[in-house]
Amino acid sequence: MPQVLSAKEQGLFRTVVRNYEDKQYKKGIKAADQILKKNPKHGDTLAMKALIMNSQGKTDEAFALAKVALQCDMKSHVCWHVYGLLYRAVKNFEEAIKAYKFALRLEPDSQQIQRDLALLQVQMRDYQGYLNSRRAMLTARPSARQSWTALAVAHHLNGNLSEAEGVLTSYEETLKNPPSKTDFENSEAVMYKNSLIAEQGDFQKALDHLESAGKHTLDRLAYYELRATYLTKLGRTEEATKAYRALIDRNSEYKMYYDGLIEAMGISEDKAAKKQLFDEYAEKYPRCDAARRLPLDFLEGDEFKEAADQYINRMLDKGVPSTFANLKHLYSSSFKKDTLPALVQQYIDSGKSEANDEPKRSGDTSKGASAAFYFLAQHYNYYRSRDLDKAMEFVEKAIELEPNSVDFHMTQARIWKHYGNSQKASEIMEKARTLDTRDRHINTKAAKYQLRDNEGDAALKTMGLFTRAETVGGPLADLHDMQCVWYLTEDGESYARQGKIGLALKRFTSIYNIFDVWQEDQFDFHSFSLRKGQIRAYIDMMRWEDQLREHTFYSRAALSAVDVYLKLHDKPLSNGTNGNSDANGDDAAERKKAAKKARKEAQKAEREAIAKKNEPNKATKEVEADPKKKDDDPDGAKLAATTEPMNDAMKFLTPLLQFSPKSIDVQTAGFEVYMRRKKYVLALKCLLAAAALDKEHSKVHQQIVRFKVAIDSEFESSESKISPKTKEVITSEFNLLPASTSLTKFNDDYLASHKDCARRTLSALSVRKLISPDAAPTCEKDVAAVLKLSAITVEEAQEALTLLRSWNSSEVDAFKSSAAQKWPKATIFE
Amino acid sequence: MAEKQPPTIVEGATTGDVEDEVPVAKSAEDRKAAAALSSLDTPRDDEAAGGKDVDQEAVKKAMDRLAGTGTANGTSTKKEEENKPVKKVVKVDQADVALLIEELELSKIKATDLLKSHDGKVEEALRAYITPAA
Repeated sequence: MPQVLSAKEQGLFRTVVRNYEDKQYKKGIKAADQILKKNPKHGDTLAMKALIMNSQGKTDEAFALAKVALQCDMKSHVCWHVYGLLYRAVKNFEEAIKAYKFALRLEPDSQQIQRDLALLQVQMRDYQGYLNSRRAMLTARPSARQSWTALAVAHHLNGNLSEAEGVLTSYEETLKNPPSKTDFENSEAVMYKNSLIAEQGDFQKALDHLESAGKHTLDRLAYYELRATYLTKLGRTEEATKAYRALIDRNSEYKMYYDGLIEAMGISEDKAAKKQLFDEYAEKYPRCDAARRLPLDFLEGDEFKEAADQYINRMLDKGVPSTFANLKHLYSSSFKKDTLPALVQQYIDSGKSEANDEPKRSGDTSKGASAAFYFLAQHYNYYRSRDLDKAMEFVEKAIELEPNSVDFHMTQARIWKHYGNSQKASEIMEKARTLDTRDRHINTKAAKYQLRDNEGDAALKTMGLFTRAETVGGPLADLHDMQCVWYLTEDGESYARQGKIGLALKRFTSIYNIFDVWQEDQFDFHSFSLRKGQIRAYIDMMRWEDQLREHTFYSRAALSAVDVYLKLHDKPLSNGTNGNSDANGDDAAERKKAAKKARKEAQKAEREAIAKKNEPNKATKEVEADPKKKDDDPDGAKLAATTEPMNDAMKFLTPLLQFSPKSIDVQTAGFEVYMRRKKYVLALKCLLAAAALDKEHSKVHQQIVRFKVAIDSEFESSESKISPKTKEVITSEFNLLPASTSLTKFNDDYLASHKDCARRTLSALSVRKLISPDAAPTCEKDVAAVLKLSAITVEEAQEALTLLRSWNSSEVDAFKSSAAQKWPKATIFE
Repeated sequence: MAEKQPPTIVEGATTGDVEDEVPVAKSAEDRKAAAALSSLDTPRDDEAAGGKDVDQEAVKKAMDRLAGTGTANGTSTKKEEENKPVKKVVKVDQADVALLIEELELSKIKATDLLKSHDGKVEEALRAYITPAA
């Protein structure tokens, strides 16, 4: 039987609760202990004490105590609620939901528990459960608008749009007086309802609703935009045209409005009409860029030339540095790619004479000349039109005219990067940074280039110029706090290049965790958005969160992490006796150093702890804050010490395969992991998906052959655990090899049809070495010969070098020297 | 801005804010305290929301209707749920489920569903699973 408190102790219990709310944890514990002295088995008090202890960072003890509390009083909803809260605090939402549900069964009328449960359900995307909770909450409080809106949202998320709309209508019908026009919550609710109607595809109804209920919405822009969209969808051309024209008058730089107008007018195919339309707006808004830039997308031939000439003159006269960035999207057309630099060259030639004729414009034209050189430098640095020597020549001319331009130096650094000289690139970028030390953009660029050159310490110092000085743990801690994903990615990749596996994995794991944080961040918005009435934004956020890990920030870091794990699997660190790899030796030393450092730090921490004990009144706050923040593996040594790298890789891989299935890099990475785990069906799934994306891809080709070789030996092996059923499916679904040709012939055909492509040649050659090991020496010679291909790039040559190294080939040195000859400015072959 | 501010608006914070912070705090209040606190809350709510803008009668009616559709909806979803299993009364070999779990790394529930949706034919299930989405 649960113990019953006396009146005085009930008062004390309320104090405990209040202390918890006010975060006066010590007082709370004291008061709780006072109750427990007399009633040592009072469940609710024990539970409250556990809750407070959890807030103090003693999670394990809190859980233990909460369990005791439950044993004392199984039927107390408070105990179950606290149990749920503890699970919530450690992010075990499923267990938390179970505990809340139990608490709710004991106390069905508790709005608080119901509310906590609902929030968890929507966080976990249990829409059916959320719907039930919201229905119960509405029954409890039917007069609040929030309850109705929340139920509508629940229906919406559960995929029942008309039901959601109906709920909102029901609420509207209960209103005696129309809400005031300045009622923001109402205005947003009306627009939300409108979006529900439109999402159901009934545009006439949506338009009618917009024109009646939404007429006075406070979000004017949304009103105009939706009206224009609906009118277009309904084919009411004239009104739609007018609506879009009004929008362009509001904002003449927004491409969507022009697109909408063109669609409404039905002139998508009529270039002349489109050109006329843009000209009209270019004239109407003399400073407008969009109306001048957009026609270049669809114009061809002389028309393009004329329009582009005008555009370029206008931009270069003003010395706009982003001119090239604005135009490079046109380079997919080879005609435009050739025309644009010719026009700029023309501008330079004519500009010079003009400057002589009209000295009054000298200021402007000098700007124009450097901008033109700058354009050409970027042009020759761009991957579709690369000629690095020319690029360097032009950027030097530009720098000559404006020696203090940050932009010009930045491009010069980028040219060095493309030369394959990361050291020089980093130097120049650093020089650019010193030209404007207060510019954050160039600061980050300089840091990035330092990371590319594996100068981690220097990069961190550079970043430190802009991070908060007072952050505990220095710039790196601040970059983590600020979730500076690009830096962590570059830093991790830099460590991976240097063979510092632990630190690399540490950084990639940080990024993984940052995405977790972003996922958790939405928690507050389930209640906040409803309270503020911003439902449309909330729904957008929910959709975004569902696709969070689609982001390239995630896929890049995750792919790099998987790559590191693959290397770790193929060449475990513990037996670093593989001879050739100096990286392994480095790493062993690194790990020893790290271990030593960790020991020292532990000793230091111990000493400090003792010191603090001796002065109990000092620095208690720090102690309280510390336990949650302390990192027990700052160098990632534990991560690198994994014995199951492939299982660890799955953590990164699973979201990749789920959210970026159309990326060939993801599928090929998935294949590598599954093959090493001997999950042949899943490997085949990745392979088939990759082949569907691009069957001629160099990696895909290699993987097809490797898969064939692997399953052949697996099927023949007597120890194979593969069931006959699986075997049959693999055999019948693996249709990527022509049945009648041998592997050798298949590979030779591939090589023959891609003999000009260095990357594919390399792939075919490594396949040849795999299927006929006797041919190894000739393969190595052939790899070295890819240097003679006219189209080979520095990056491809680097891949060839890596391949030769992995074979322990005798060709390595010869390859390095001839590559260094071919690219004298590159440092990567030294 | 001649219009009167609606009564639900409180200076400096919406009513929502006020309502919300109280519940968060009383997370583990004992029953009596909770009841006392929420009885403090409710009259104000009703006054605020129900006083002028909301027609209590209409709310009742709307709630009744909602309950009606709710149950109707509930039964209809139940029907759907019933329909599905009826369609899928498929004998599932546990060995096949185990195979799918092993090969495809699915949870048991998902593996069973996958197998059921292919009439219990494990080869079909495997095939369908690995075929790239068009």
